[in-house]
Amino acid sequence: MINGFKGKSKARVVTTAAITAAALVATIGLGTSTSSAAFKSADVNTGKLVYWFWGESDIPGSTAWMQAAIKKYQALHKGLTIELVPQNSDTLQGAFETTAQSKSGPDIAMQWATLPVLTPVWRGQVSSLKGLVAPSEMANWLNTSENVSGGESWAMPLYLLGQPFVWNKALFKKAGLNPDKGPTTWKEFLADCAALKKAGITPVVMGDKDGFFGSWFQGTIGTQNLNSVKELQEVYAGKAKFTDSKYSDYLTKLAELKAKGYINNDVTSIDLTQGWQAFAQKKGAMTWTTDGNVATWIKAGMGADLGVQSVPKVGTGKLASFYTATQSISAYITSWSKNKQAAANFLVWLHQPENVKSWYTATGSFPADKRFSATLIKDPVMKALYKLNTLPNQLWAQNYAPPQVDSQGLQPAAQGVLAGTSTAKQAAAAIQKAIDAWRTQQPKDLAAYKKWAGV
Amino acid sequence: MVLIILLVFIYPLIAVIRNSFYSGSISNLSFIGTANYVNLLRDEVFVHAILNNIKLLLTVPITTAISLSAALILYENIRGWKLYRVILFLPYIIPAAVVGLSFSYLLQGNGILNTALRNLHLNFAALDWIGSTTLSIYSIGAVIIWSQFGFGVVVLTASLLSLPTEVSEAALVDGATRWQRQRFVIIPQIKETVQFLMVLQAITALAWVFPYIYTITKGGPANSSMVMDLYIWQYGFSLGAVGMASAAAVYLLLLSGVLIFIYSRMRKRQSDI
Repeated sequence: MINGFKGKSKARVVTTAAITAAALVATIGLGTSTSSAAFKSADVNTGKLVYWFWGESDIPGSTAWMQAAIKKYQALHKGLTIELVPQNSDTLQGAFETTAQSKSGPDIAMQWATLPVLTPVWRGQVSSLKGLVAPSEMANWLNTSENVSGGESWAMPLYLLGQPFVWNKALFKKAGLNPDKGPTTWKEFLADCAALKKAGITPVVMGDKDGFFGSWFQGTIGTQNLNSVKELQEVYAGKAKFTDSKYSDYLTKLAELKAKGYINNDVTSIDLTQGWQAFAQKKGAMTWTTDGNVATWIKAGMGADLGVQSVPKVGTGKLASFYTATQSISAYITSWSKNKQAAANFLVWLHQPENVKSWYTATGSFPADKRFSATLIKDPVMKALYKLNTLPNQLWAQNYAPPQVDSQGLQPAAQGVLAGTSTAKQAAAAIQKAIDAWRTQQPKDLAAYKKWAGV
Repeated sequence: MVLIILLVFIYPLIAVIRNSFYSGSISNLSFIGTANYVNLLRDEVFVHAILNNIKLLLTVPITTAISLSAALILYENIRGWKLYRVILFLPYIIPAAVVGLSFSYLLQGNGILNTALRNLHLNFAALDWIGSTTLSIYSIGAVIIWSQFGFGVVVLTASLLSLPTEVSEAALVDGATRWQRQRFVIIPQIKETVQFLMVLQAITALAWVFPYIYTITKGGPANSSMVMDLYIWQYGFSLGAVGMASAAAVYLLLLSGVLIFIYSRMRKRQSDI
């Protein structure tokens, strides 16, 4: 063999080596571009992207973080401009639907996970991430299953959002209750409410002028008699009736809170955020909130007074042991964007480890990425929240309600109960009507929903 | 000119009427005939919205009466009347969204108004102005009156100032009291302006209350303060159900048309006399 090698001309050996080296370089280059579509080529990241961003209501400080991130990304890609347009909760869905009608507007938009994302997907307003983001990259993202339809992933999660049940330990102590133990059953919850009320403390403080609390109460309390998400989907698809007590019993519980004076008397005239402000001002002892708000309260020095846990157990279904968490808001690329790859590259970049870390440091909210190191969490309350958020069984039921049913049914029905003008039975009937109306008015959305849910 | 009218008025009108016969979102419409019109009449929320718009029409005579009274007082040349007129006009020039936001804080269950009432030991009067399903629409009506009456004052004052003074002076010489002069001499002369003002206010109450409702109650609680233009916005823009929104817009157009027709008939009858 050695002799044989020696027998070949030097020139031939050099040529072979050069070809091999060139092939290796080409292979490495190709490997890089296919393993991460994000960094396919530098010239893709040029032009202008318009990004409709929402996050501040969930995560105070998120807009400032995103602005800083964009500045950093633009410095990396001199030919690219990203215009950040913060959105309001009230108009988030409406504004996108309006702009989608003219097929113009943002390149990247955001909606809450599942139905709010999938509805525009089914209307052809969103681009699939397939081919834009490498599967190996997406494998690092958490809760992507919430935005899957037709076997494809349609949106990028930014952070995890849990909906903890929070109580003020100082007020519990004042009412003679154990400050370190929140109520774990409905019976305990009512007993705590009675003790707090007796001590002159408003037991629960919320705001429902914008209707969200109604959806949240349904999501956390109203699903506890169900055994699967499919059962929840069946009621919207018309296979079951919302008036069935397994779906509507939560409205009786809500009416009970109102009738016994266990909830703030101005609940229907203040919005969700104002309700949380009232909790922070110690105007009530318990509330339903988000991780982001807890993080803000900890920063404001309330940490020692905060107890967090899952909502009290009310039902006997399998979903009663699920924690309410989601990836919350998801970013997607619009179908009309002329710069889809640049948009995808930016979204991928937001998930790079240094950005994931920086997001947590700046906002205290947990990134929806496996690469986030939980050792960064130092606060015991936040540690407890992260543990809840990463439990295997999670569900944010509101995301499974068609937006029209949510805004025309779940929300006003609960408002009627809280205003004291509707009985639980009337409220359940109103929700059923809203479901029937959606099914009649949006037959194509209904067909897509049924196909997606498999019901 | 004809082309501009066709483009600006006729085309959108035709598009709205056409869309009212479809279901689905704008990018995915299906023809369903008159189903949207039927569904709307069966929808309690829509019927309630129409009733609320009709309730808000009550603001028209109230606003007109207050505006007319204020204008007549100013017409009597009270000291500083020009300044008063400017002050009364101020609420009208404040954007409706700002008015709505301010009043939403003022009228909350534990807002500024109720806190003041409780401090004055008037707890019985501290009602849940915007959080109650029975009061919310009337609270909004009160805000609309507050916001709109300045416009009426300015329009009516301008009309009063343009009147010839001889007739009023003659009545004075004949021994007419101030009330008699106002009732039988001055008001009849500005009747057409009053009617025109009322039609404008009625159209406002029917089709221009969105910013007040949206910022103060968002149509709640439990749709108790829902009005037609908010309903149209919710379906058309928030939910993407363009067909329902268009059909509701056609109903609103018909209702406004009826008002304009009544006004035209009144004008015609007057000119015939």
